[in-house]
Amino acid sequence: MTAKANPAPAGTAPRAGLVSRLTHPRLYCTLIALALLLVIPLASGSPFLVHVFVTICVFAALATAWNIVGGYAGQLSLGHTVFYGIGGYTTALLIAHFGLTPWIGMLIGAALAALVGIGIGYPCFRLRGPFFSLATIAFLEVVRLLAIHFNGLTGGSAGLIVPLNLGWAWMIFRDKVNYLFIAFGLLCLTLLVSWAVRSSRLGFYLTAVRERDSAAQAAGINDNRVKLIAIALSAALTALVGAFHAMYLTFLEPATMFSLATSVEIAMFALIGGLGTVMGPLLGTVLVVPLAELARGWLGASANGLHGFVYGTVLVLITLTLPGGLVGTFGRRITGWIDALPGGARPEPQPAPALAEVGGTPGEPILVAKDLVKRFGGLTATDNVSMTLKRGEILGVIGPNGAGKTTVFNQLSGFLKPNSGTVEVIDAAGRRHSPSTPDAYARLGVGRTFQIVQPFGKLTVLENIMIGAFLRHRSVEAARASALRVARLVGLEDVKDVEAATLPIGGLKRLEVARTLATEPSILLLDEVMAGQSQADTAKMVQLIRAIRDTGVSVIAIEHNMQAIMSLSDRIVVIDSGKVIAEGAPQAVVRERRVIEAYLGEDYVDAQGL
Amino acid sequence: MDVFIQLLINGILLGSMYAIISVGLTMIFGIVRVVNFAHGEFLMVGMYGAYLLAAKFGLHPYAAAVPIVLLLFAMGAIVQRFIIQPLLSADEHIQIFATVGLSTALVNLALLLFGADLYAVPASSVQRTVMVGGFSLVIGQIVMFVCALALVAGLHFFMQATPLGRAIRATAQNRTAALLMGVRVDRIYVISFGIGAACVGLASALVMPLYPVSPTIGTYFVLTAFVVVVLGGMRSMYGAFFGAMLIGIVDSLSGYYIAPDLKEVVYFAIFIAILIFKPTGLFGLGRGTE
Repeated sequence: MTAKANPAPAGTAPRAGLVSRLTHPRLYCTLIALALLLVIPLASGSPFLVHVFVTICVFAALATAWNIVGGYAGQLSLGHTVFYGIGGYTTALLIAHFGLTPWIGMLIGAALAALVGIGIGYPCFRLRGPFFSLATIAFLEVVRLLAIHFNGLTGGSAGLIVPLNLGWAWMIFRDKVNYLFIAFGLLCLTLLVSWAVRSSRLGFYLTAVRERDSAAQAAGINDNRVKLIAIALSAALTALVGAFHAMYLTFLEPATMFSLATSVEIAMFALIGGLGTVMGPLLGTVLVVPLAELARGWLGASANGLHGFVYGTVLVLITLTLPGGLVGTFGRRITGWIDALPGGARPEPQPAPALAEVGGTPGEPILVAKDLVKRFGGLTATDNVSMTLKRGEILGVIGPNGAGKTTVFNQLSGFLKPNSGTVEVIDAAGRRHSPSTPDAYARLGVGRTFQIVQPFGKLTVLENIMIGAFLRHRSVEAARASALRVARLVGLEDVKDVEAATLPIGGLKRLEVARTLATEPSILLLDEVMAGQSQADTAKMVQLIRAIRDTGVSVIAIEHNMQAIMSLSDRIVVIDSGKVIAEGAPQAVVRERRVIEAYLGEDYVDAQGL
Repeated sequence: MDVFIQLLINGILLGSMYAIISVGLTMIFGIVRVVNFAHGEFLMVGMYGAYLLAAKFGLHPYAAAVPIVLLLFAMGAIVQRFIIQPLLSADEHIQIFATVGLSTALVNLALLLFGADLYAVPASSVQRTVMVGGFSLVIGQIVMFVCALALVAGLHFFMQATPLGRAIRATAQNRTAALLMGVRVDRIYVISFGIGAACVGLASALVMPLYPVSPTIGTYFVLTAFVVVVLGGMRSMYGAFFGAMLIGIVDSLSGYYIAPDLKEVVYFAIFIAILIFKPTGLFGLGRGTE
C-alpha cells in the first residue's frame, strides 16, 4: 500500500486498482444511492427537506455506528446515546469554556467516548444477551442523572445553549445546507469504517465471537479484545455524530442527549435494515425516519406519540416476520442483480500462501503436562495426569466414557485451569511457555477440535475455515486461499459455500478438523473426530492424520474407534477414572490386565483367565 | 435515630410496591426465560385502566383491582401467545427487540390517547397518614405491604401445592423433560406470562391512589424492578421480594443522606456491581450470566 511495503512475493496477484474498483457495480450503485441523499434536498431547495435529510444522515450514521457493536459483535447495547451525549456535551463545553473549535472538540469527545465504551464493555461483555442490554441502560441512566445533578457544569435539566458563533470554524450556519454537507460526510465516514470492519479480519472475528465463543477462542481469537475494539470504534463514531447533532440543534439537555428512547430507535433502524450488514442500518433509517418526520411535519403536535407508536409496531412486526431485516432477507437477491450489471466479474482467486515450516527436532518433547488435577465439586475428573507429547508422533488417548479424556484436553488447550499441575508448550527454539487462555494456546500452535462440534452455523463452510486461517494470515484474500487449500485437503471443497449449520454430522466433524488445521498448528488435539463417520470416511481421516503428521505436526487423538486408533498411534495412553492406568506401544497396551478391566470389567478378565 | 427508623419503614413500604412488580417480572423470566422489557408498560396500562374506571364509573382503584388483574392477565397471555411464542426459538436479540418494540408502541399509544399530562384519581382516605408508635405510615402503603406478603404467600402455595404450579415449576427447570412428561409447555408459558402480567395489574391498582399516571410512568418503575430482579437472583420469587425491600430501603436512605436526585444513581450503581461481580444475585439464588 505504501512505498515502504516489501515487494510483493512472487505469485501474488497485484491488488485491484482504484479504477477497476470504481467500475464494480456494487461500488457505483452504492455511490449513486448515497448521492441521492444530497441531490434530492439540494434540488428541492426546501428547508424542511434539508432538515429531514440531515436527520436521516444523522440517524443513519448513528445506526451504522451502533451496528458495529450491536450487529457485528452481537452485543445489544440499548444505552448507546451515552456516547452520543458525551460527544455533544464535550464539544459544547469545550466551546463554552475554552473557545475550542468543535472540529477539535468532537475528536476529543470521540476519544473520551471510546474510553468510556471500553470502560463499559470490559466488565459487561461477560453478561449474556438481555443482561448486557440492561447494564447498558443502567449506565445510560447513571450518566443522565449525573448530568442533571452536576448542573454547574452541564446546565442540568435547564439545558445548555451552544454559543452562536457563525461560520465553518464554529459549525454553526445560517444556511442549513452546510449542515447537510457535514452530516453527509459523517455518514460516509461511518459507512466506510463499518465496511472496512466488515470486510477485514476483525469483521470475521466479530462474527465468530458472536456465533460461538469457544470455537472462536480455539481459533486463537481473543474474544474480549475484538469486542472492545468494536465498542471503542462504535462509541467514537457515535460521539462524532452526537457532537455534530448538538451543533445542529444548538441546545443540549440531559433528557434528549442521554435519551433511552433514542437509543432504542438507533438499534431499531439497524434491525429493520438488517443487523450485521453494512447497508442495513442506512436502509432502515431511510425507510422509517421520513415517515415519522413527515407525520410530524403535517400533523404537528396532535400526532404526539404517533411516530413512536409506528416505530414500536414496525419493530414488533419485523421481529415476527423479517428477523433478518431487509438486507438480511432480500440482500442476496439484490446484490445478485447488481453484480449482473457491467463490471461485476468476480476477482481471480489468489494462490494459497506457503505453509509455515514446523521446526524443531523430532522425538524431543513438545507438550508436557505434569500432575494435572481437576476437581468439579466432589468429583476429581483428572487425578494427577502426566503425559508428554513428542515432536512428530501420534499419541492416542483411550479410555471408557467419563474417564476424563476431554477434561484433559480442555486443560491442554487452556479451556480449563487445572487445580494443580502444569502444562508447558515447547516451541521450535526450545523455549518453554505456559499460556493461560485458549487463544494464547492457539497462537502458540496448539490447535484443538471439539468432541461436540462447534461450527459457526451461519457462516459458510469456507468462512468457518477462514476463521482459523486468519490466525496466520491477516489479509482476507490470503486467508481465503489458505482455507480453500485446507477444504480441499479435508474433503470439504464441494460444500464450501454451504451454510455450516446444514452439514451432516460427518461433515461437521471434518469441518472441526479443517478449522483447526487452518490455524496451522504444530500440535493438533483431535477429540473423537472419527465418531459419526462412515467406514470409508474413517479410512480417509486416518490417511489425513498421517499426512498431517508427515508435515511435522505432532498429534494427540482421543478416539473410541479402536481399529483406527490402534493403527494410527505411535503410542497410547489409557485413562480411567481420571488416572493414567497404562502407557506404551498400542499392541502392548491392549494386553494389559488393567486396561481390559477398565473396558470390560473384572469378571471378564477372570473369565478369560488373563 | 428516629429519623433512621422512619426512613427504614418508608423504605420497606416503598419496597413492597417494587416487590409486587418484580415478582411478576421474575415469574416471566424464571419460567418463560424471556426478559420482558415491556413490563413497565403493563403497569402503565393497568394504571390508565384504573384511572378510567375511577373517572367514568367512580370505582375506587382497590375495587378496580379485580377487573384490572383480569385485564392484565389476558394482555400478558395474548402477548405471550402472539409475540413471544413465535420467537421462543429465535435469537435472543430478536426477543429483546420484540419486547422493546412492544414497550415503545405502548408508551407512544398512551401519549397519543392521553397526552403527556399526569392523571390522578380523586383523593381518598388511602392517602392519609396514621401514626403508629411515633412513626407515620401512609395507609395505602400499608395495604401494599400486606398485599405483597399475601401475593408471595399465595404464589408460594400455588406453585408448591397445586398440580398446575408443579407443572410450571417442572417447565421452569427443564422444558424438554416437562414436555416428555406430557406437560403442555406452550400453555404453561401463556399462563405464566399471564400471571406475571396480573401481578403488575395488582400493583397498578394499588399504586394508582398514590401516584398520578403518565405515559412514561412504567419506564420509571420498571428500571427499578429490573434492579430488584437482578439483585434477587433473576429466577427466585423470594429473592425478588427481599431485593425489593432492600432497594426500597436504599432508595429511602440515599434520598435522605446523599441527595434526592442521586438515589437512582446509587441503586443503578448497585445494579451494575451486582451484574458484574455477583451475577447469581445478592442471595445466590439464581444464575445471571447463564
